[in-house]
Amino acid sequence: DIEEKKEDAEASATDEFERKALSRLGGSICFVSKKGFLWTGGAAQS
Amino acid sequence: MELGRRIASRLHDATFDRIAQVGLANAATHRPHIRRSVLELAKLPLGAGDAALVVAAGPSLHRRRSLERLAARGFPGTIVAVDSALAACLRNGVVPHVVVTVDPHDRIVRWFGEPALAVPSADDYFRRQEMDPVHAADEMAANRAVVALVDRDGPRLRVAAATSAAPSVVSRCRAAGMELFWWNPMYDDYERPDSVSRELHRENGLPCLNGGGNVGTASWVLAHAVLGKRRVGIIGMDFGYPPDTPYEKTQYYPELRDMLGERFGEAFVHFENPVLGEKWFTDPAYCWFRDVFLEMAREARCETFNCTEGGVLFGPEIKTVTLEEFLDHG
Repeated sequence: DIEEKKEDAEASATDEFERKALSRLGGSICFVSKKGFLWTGGAAQS
Repeated sequence: MELGRRIASRLHDATFDRIAQVGLANAATHRPHIRRSVLELAKLPLGAGDAALVVAAGPSLHRRRSLERLAARGFPGTIVAVDSALAACLRNGVVPHVVVTVDPHDRIVRWFGEPALAVPSADDYFRRQEMDPVHAADEMAANRAVVALVDRDGPRLRVAAATSAAPSVVSRCRAAGMELFWWNPMYDDYERPDSVSRELHRENGLPCLNGGGNVGTASWVLAHAVLGKRRVGIIGMDFGYPPDTPYEKTQYYPELRDMLGERFGEAFVHFENPVLGEKWFTDPAYCWFRDVFLEMAREARCETFNCTEGGVLFGPEIKTVTLEEFLDHG
């Protein structure tokens, strides 16, 4: 149980490190797949 | 899968991590001062006909002298420029109908000129970037020139400002007499009950625009989805670097070096441009931008003409033509 928890903690720390590192490589605005181009607030215009 | 593409496949979430928190904080700062929605731009007479030209700031803009050729040939349609291409446009006598800005980070104000800049910035971003080479040669002189250009033409410019934009950028635009038209970035799936985009729209009433990862793609979306243009040309949209570019002169070099150490070179992805026969390369971010653009182009209700004459953006969704072909027949 201790070994598994240790591995989980290490994996979690690695994920967190990777996520922080990757966030520096991201874009300046998000992209949302399959959600059209413009949502005015009913379906987005495509 | 090669390393660069593996990293690119994770940049959707990484981008949210990078900009959502600061973008939403900026939106809260701007909210009391927002007067006009980007949807109002569709009612203004911004050029004739149903064609638009998006001016991005990739290296081909200078390599191909696209702006000089645009100024010489003329274009009756709508011109939409990204913020980093604004100064190059004005230097060449091209006054865009709309300038688009999205980035939440303060350094972006340099594209509009920083009147108070007294010493070169400690960050070498503007000396290293490929978007406007004049900043690399003499940062201070380049900034003074941009300040003068933007002060001169500001009252003629409209800015399509994302609510994520840095407050320093918005202040500079206002001081230069530009008119601001606002929109929200689409941060996530607005159909989810816990959607950040839905909550933001509820707070400020502004439409959410799917930005595609970068200001160039956001400008293309604005041209067809907001302005209703049916034929959209693009220049300066390379999403990559010319064959002779040193890795040290690429936009994400410090980040890749920190992340991968001596292996940083493995993160670059190489493409052969089928029209030019040149081998260009991208970093993971530009590789992701390219994939996203091609996905979006498949869904768009417009024809897209890539007149960049360089770069890595090609595929069945996009027609590749020369700038003159688009200007004359687009």
